[in-house]
Amino acid sequence: MTAPPPALELRAVTKRYGTVTALGGVDLVLPRHGVLGLVGENGAGKSTLISVINGTARPTDGQILVNGRAVSLGSPSEAARAGIATVFQEQGLVANLRVYENMLLGREQQFSRAGVLGSAAMKRFARKVLGELGIVIDPDAITGELAFGERQLLEIAKAFALGHLYPVEPIVLLDEPTSALSDRETDILFESIRRWRGKASIVLVSHRLSDVFAVCDAVTTLKDGRVSGHWPITEATPDILHEAIVGRPRSAGYYKESEQRVALGDVVLSLRDVHVPGRLDGVSVEVRAGEILGVAGVLGSGKTVLGQVITGAVRPSRGEISVHGRRLTPGSRIAALSADIGSVPAERNTAGVIGMHSVQSNLVLPSLRRFRLPRLPILSSRRQAETTDRWIERLRVKTAGRTQQIRNLSGGNAQKIVFAKWLARGVRVFVLDDPGRGLDVGAKEEIYSLLRNLARENVAIVLISDNLPEVIGLSNRIITFRSGAVSAEIAAPAHDKPSETSVVTNMV
Amino acid sequence: MSQTIPHTASRPMRFSSFVSRHAVSFYPVLVILALIVFFGVQNPYFATFDNAMNIGRQSSVLLLVALAGTMVIMIGSIDLSVGSIVTLSGIVAALAIDPLGPSASVLAGIGVGLMVGFVNGMTLVTLKVPSFLVTLGMLSVLSGIANMICGGSSIMFMDQGLTELVNSELVPGLPNIILIALVTAAILTFVAFKTVLGRYLFAIGGGEVVAANAGVPVNRYKVYAFMLSGGLCGLAGVLLTSQVGAGTPAAGANMLLDSIAAIVMGGTALSGGIGGPQRTILGVLVIAILSNGMDVTEVSSFTQEVVKGLVIILAVASTIDRKKYLFIK
Repeated sequence: MTAPPPALELRAVTKRYGTVTALGGVDLVLPRHGVLGLVGENGAGKSTLISVINGTARPTDGQILVNGRAVSLGSPSEAARAGIATVFQEQGLVANLRVYENMLLGREQQFSRAGVLGSAAMKRFARKVLGELGIVIDPDAITGELAFGERQLLEIAKAFALGHLYPVEPIVLLDEPTSALSDRETDILFESIRRWRGKASIVLVSHRLSDVFAVCDAVTTLKDGRVSGHWPITEATPDILHEAIVGRPRSAGYYKESEQRVALGDVVLSLRDVHVPGRLDGVSVEVRAGEILGVAGVLGSGKTVLGQVITGAVRPSRGEISVHGRRLTPGSRIAALSADIGSVPAERNTAGVIGMHSVQSNLVLPSLRRFRLPRLPILSSRRQAETTDRWIERLRVKTAGRTQQIRNLSGGNAQKIVFAKWLARGVRVFVLDDPGRGLDVGAKEEIYSLLRNLARENVAIVLISDNLPEVIGLSNRIITFRSGAVSAEIAAPAHDKPSETSVVTNMV
Repeated sequence: MSQTIPHTASRPMRFSSFVSRHAVSFYPVLVILALIVFFGVQNPYFATFDNAMNIGRQSSVLLLVALAGTMVIMIGSIDLSVGSIVTLSGIVAALAIDPLGPSASVLAGIGVGLMVGFVNGMTLVTLKVPSFLVTLGMLSVLSGIANMICGGSSIMFMDQGLTELVNSELVPGLPNIILIALVTAAILTFVAFKTVLGRYLFAIGGGEVVAANAGVPVNRYKVYAFMLSGGLCGLAGVLLTSQVGAGTPAAGANMLLDSIAAIVMGGTALSGGIGGPQRTILGVLVIAILSNGMDVTEVSSFTQEVVKGLVIILAVASTIDRKKYLFIK
């Protein structure tokens, strides 16, 4: 008996955009029921590869085989019929529809009689799929009211739902599924993937090597549009993968622990007994000049609200927040700003930058009033341009110039502009929510250096993140949240970092 | 200027790529040129200086109203009450001019507009009613009030001071009404790009959350946008009344659709954040030239409506950069 053909095979797939080669002859094999990790930096070609496989982009050259049969290229509908389902990084859910409606969007005809939708059957089906995946979401809930992490899980459930509807085994492409998930949700996801192993074949695209080691049985690395390596998971190590991804060995001290400050300054930010009904329960925290305070917790634990309270986006019902001993008006963004509190939001594209505006417009926005000419309500174009060019150069932002629309920048470079917005203004307190989200390892490393520099300049930094190695590696001290309250405070000196386990045990 | 551009951008741009990058700004110009040639061939009188001034006089008020709408569309909202503000403030000015004098009537007309804008904006930000509905309701309220004041007929006045001022020429050859409209357009363009106010309006339209995070007092600036719109419509109403010589209850009736068509044709996106007053000038020119051209070539007014509607759809279809829109609603 011959071995069954692989679920998915790519042969010399090439994709050129004009003179730019996004993919240069990629060979890839996903065995039936396999879980293949696909890793690479931003721009390495991962997203292009995904769109070529699911038919949204037509390769210039090459062949794609599903279960040994060639499929026509660049046809999303044929890819769907072959069982290929994609879970996108950017969410493909309609916010005002209910969960079960989203799960079956475009497949309603199978649940309708004479044009009338069988809502009850749709709900039953949705509940069954969610139950099998171990996802606790009400099928009747409005999708837009779910937390980001829950929506991501729903999206994955949607892809798996197709497996029930088509007579083919699904090939699920997961594009950065964990980048917005809390650890608990990540666990649920990985458990589901393991449970589905005999029923689906999966490609997992991720920035996180820990994801790959947790769930994949083989890993392929991409670099500059080409496959730079392939290993069974038993033979891969983080260092091998890192080198294949970046093209050079991992630099010692990814989190720049050696630059971590030992002696800290005075208390800059202090929260005393802060309450937000149902979300924060009597939180008291102090952050010193030059300190990086890591904040860890699962989704809904209160870690995100902590950041929103400090930046004035959420008004606490009780308690006080002060900077350098001066009490802030609670719930006022303007007050927070005049105390020089800056923030890097988790959702960069909706809260961090205005994509259609130029690099310069984005960069000067928080400090716009400073660019007025003396005694005139007119903005100085020259000074805005000088400031922008200075920060582009200082942070080595890759852009065609300050007039470039920011949506044309890569995630890492756009994130640098978000930082520059506040650096140009000058901050004393910096609240960061998941600053590495969606960035590749190289860009992350630069962002980490930036944080170390800020700490050296006596900025008090609050680092909220789901990425535990990042929180542990960067912070002087870590607080963990559980149901709205601080559950532990853990010292994290450079020479004696706490283990992930010791942090996690305080989160759940 | 060229020294300050970073070297990466100073490569000579090929003409074709220059055209495609600036296509949105070019299309209205092309439409205008095509219309001028077309009507000029039909009737030689069309392409004369006299007629150019006619077009200017006919479109000055529309330009002001379209500029008003632009300031609100920039923040991603919409002001449907523009036409009814023109009507009401025109009537108030007509009533005020004899007892109070020309300057007081100008202030009264603009004051009415500012007040309406303030109410629009405050309703939007405090009651969180979408601007489309707030201003749709306001449209009806104001038309009703205007009709109640004048009982459905025009309000005449004796004092011709304002009418003379509007029609005389501070710059020889250029009627003052055109001058006022052009100067206003220039000031607003300056405000949009060179002041905190303008940049904040763009930022709110481009990304309200981002703007709020950056410390922009979003609600206050939304109210400013509606007050700007109201005030400009007030001025437009006063000018229209003095131009016509009476305050009439149907004065602003056609203004709403024409102004929105002009704004969108010019290239300001209804979703906010891009475009600006300078774009709207071109959009107004298209509509003005089209209307005037059909007048001088003696197209019947019913046919004019049909043609105008079709040209607006075609012009917008060919000018908007569809790549920027994921969805069309």
